[in-house]
Amino acid sequence: MKNILTLFLGLFFASSIGVYAQSDNVSPARKQAIDSLALEKVKDLSKYISIIGSKETQFSEANRVMDRAEELFAPGAEMGVSSINSNDIAYYKVRRYFERLMALNYDRVNITWYDIQYISDLERQPDGRYVGVITIYQRFEGTSIETGMNYKDTTKKDITIYVEKKQTQIAGRTIEFWDVMLGDVRVTETSV
Amino acid sequence: MRITFIFIAIFFASISLVPGQSLGGPGTIKDDGRLASSTKQLNQFFRRFNAEESPNGETRYYPEDSLYHNVPLRQGFIQILFDNQTSSISKELKAQFINTVLSSSYPQYLNFHREGWYSEVQTQFIYKGKREPVTIILKLQPERLGYEWVFDDVSFEPFKKLFNKPVGGEKDFLHPLSHELGFMNLRRAFQDSKTPEAFTRTDYKPDYLTLFLYEMKLGNLRFETVSDVKFHFFQIEGWYFEVNQFNRPGFNTGWLISNLVKLGPGDKETIQKYIYDQN
Repeated sequence: MKNILTLFLGLFFASSIGVYAQSDNVSPARKQAIDSLALEKVKDLSKYISIIGSKETQFSEANRVMDRAEELFAPGAEMGVSSINSNDIAYYKVRRYFERLMALNYDRVNITWYDIQYISDLERQPDGRYVGVITIYQRFEGTSIETGMNYKDTTKKDITIYVEKKQTQIAGRTIEFWDVMLGDVRVTETSV
Repeated sequence: MRITFIFIAIFFASISLVPGQSLGGPGTIKDDGRLASSTKQLNQFFRRFNAEESPNGETRYYPEDSLYHNVPLRQGFIQILFDNQTSSISKELKAQFINTVLSSSYPQYLNFHREGWYSEVQTQFIYKGKREPVTIILKLQPERLGYEWVFDDVSFEPFKKLFNKPVGGEKDFLHPLSHELGFMNLRRAFQDSKTPEAFTRTDYKPDYLTLFLYEMKLGNLRFETVSDVKFHFFQIEGWYFEVNQFNRPGFNTGWLISNLVKLGPGDKETIQKYIYDQN
């Protein structure tokens, strides 16, 4: 269902800026459309992170959501995490990162997002695909009833996006559309 | 000063006026302006430096937009691109730099794809069972359909210690009639000497990057992590500046200029040598 929706959105944006459809360059109008599509994926990821991190989510449901979240990413994507106390980056495969999030030992977890994000320009890489970075900020709050401990942090998430022009056949016609996949994510604890 | 004040006023006004494409629904936290003012990506550093985006960063300006490269907007942006809390860049030097960059006859801009900037990355490797810091210089280069970051050089203390060419009376040599003996005295260089590099030409420089890759291929070096990143810019004629990331509370955060030098004759080469650790 998710894939169909993505395809539909991709086709929608491709057709809405059809004047550029034959070109490999990213015009400002197309860039805006790609930004919206990428932001949708990031919103999905944010939603999934909130569900996976919530203590009210049942194990089976969390696993199902992890599968959905994993589908947003290009194969091999990693999360690189650092804290205020150490700049060293700890690397986790996306799935492992989600599993760690699910296993956090808090009775109450509240994950919220700041109403701000930043979207970079798109740069072309050697294989012709475009790459960009979306920056968002997350607030995490975890409470342990037994110990009374309350942990809070704010993290900056720099999310790689890969943008690629793809083709599909619909009713015998070849339609081009732009697809967006998420890539490596850099997670930095910030002192906001 | 007045321009900065006006800029900051417009900046914060625009933050509160523009709803933006926020991530979430009811649970979203409203930024009080600190995240908006932070230079969140190096991409934003470029755009702000050149005045190629709106004060809140939500609108990208292109050449056909009226505010693209707008001078007052640029002036306001560049003022906030300096680290004002820990760096000791004088007001006079800053003003001189801003005047140069904004010159009406010859304005200068940063260009992502042009030569004249590169990255210095601090990393940690395991070498012969011990954690060792390695500095890697990376440059952007065109490759097939796009661009890629590539290794330009490395600085690695164990290699530097290994190559310590003796000078003066300490330096051993092959005498100038060695050829008459069919270089039988090569034994001195390759067997008896602990510093065979003493027998190399005057301008010999060990290629640490090749050595580094060689050690890696042999399995003697294992990557651990990245611990710091900074950028060096020589794109503004007659100037050098360094950009670092500042992760701290407040409004003066993100990627900011932490060091600014007005270049005299020979200064550029000296700074480059220092960065490349070739002193």
